[in-house]
Amino acid sequence: MNKKRDRLQIIHDILKAIASRNGRIKPTHILYKSNISHQMLEDYLKEMIVKGFIEEHDLGPSKTYSVMPKGFEYLNKYKLIIEFTESFGLNEDEGFG
Amino acid sequence: MANFMIIPTWFLGYNIILEAVFALITLIVSRYAFKLYKLSEQRQLMLFGMAFLSISISYFIQSLLNFAILFNLTEDICHMVKANNLNSLNFIGVYTYVIFFTFGLMLLFFMTLRIKDAKIFSLIFLIVLSAIFLSANILFMFYLVSSIMLLSVCLHYLKNYLDKKQTKTLLVLIAFVFLLFGRVHFIFALNHGTYYVLGHVLELGAYGLILINLLRVLSKNEQKTR
Repeated sequence: MNKKRDRLQIIHDILKAIASRNGRIKPTHILYKSNISHQMLEDYLKEMIVKGFIEEHDLGPSKTYSVMPKGFEYLNKYKLIIEFTESFGLNEDEGFG
Repeated sequence: MANFMIIPTWFLGYNIILEAVFALITLIVSRYAFKLYKLSEQRQLMLFGMAFLSISISYFIQSLLNFAILFNLTEDICHMVKANNLNSLNFIGVYTYVIFFTFGLMLLFFMTLRIKDAKIFSLIFLIVLSAIFLSANILFMFYLVSSIMLLSVCLHYLKNYLDKKQTKTLLVLIAFVFLLFGRVHFIFALNHGTYYVLGHVLELGAYGLILINLLRVLSKNEQKTR
């Protein structure tokens, strides 16, 4: 049985999906790769833009997203974040806000 | 109100060094928590960082106060902080130590209970501080209350270890159990100096394990990025 993903893992999966497409990806592709609901993805994308993980590019009819330096740093340090939060029991899913 | 503990003469000086070491270790843990919070925006990391920073400040104050008393610097410090006498200085020192440590420990305690309401936290914090400072023996009440909170924190880390069964979670569990026993020993140190020493030794074990765990986490990350 798949373990429910927590916030950190979902952010990681979204960033990885965007980074894997050479930095520019449409929402539908992120939805497919990150395996979360449309509403949840919208919420995460909004917050990730506000917090500087990703950048939105409005190209007329469609939007694309690219990873910001903070997002890349998150991907690089993901294992450290997980190790630290797991060892000190800080890995509860909080959501945003 | 009693604000003194019995410290064996031979241990004077060592207690200051140990408290300074505890302040340093908790500061390091706090720093990494804040650094990872900056990366991840995970609120619990920020709260964890604040908790350990507050505890670090409390140890720093404790170490400084003991240092001042040991090296007869109290008169100069009385002038600096405009305290009337040694009693006032001791009063200020003990109160700030208790406030900072209780704040840090309460943050950890509330995180383990998963209570996120700041109003409830503030209310309980004020109630706890009132109970401590209005009691006949401040230090006794402080160590008793902190032991009870640490017991809850230990149960959280026991559950964390049973869920994951990893070395890192076991190290943290043992660390907090040592911390709990250390605090309990300080309750008895009000009447007997040996417990004061044992309390410090147990806390040294606790923070040593926390530091070892942090270094293991960092070195694992270094290996993976190479």
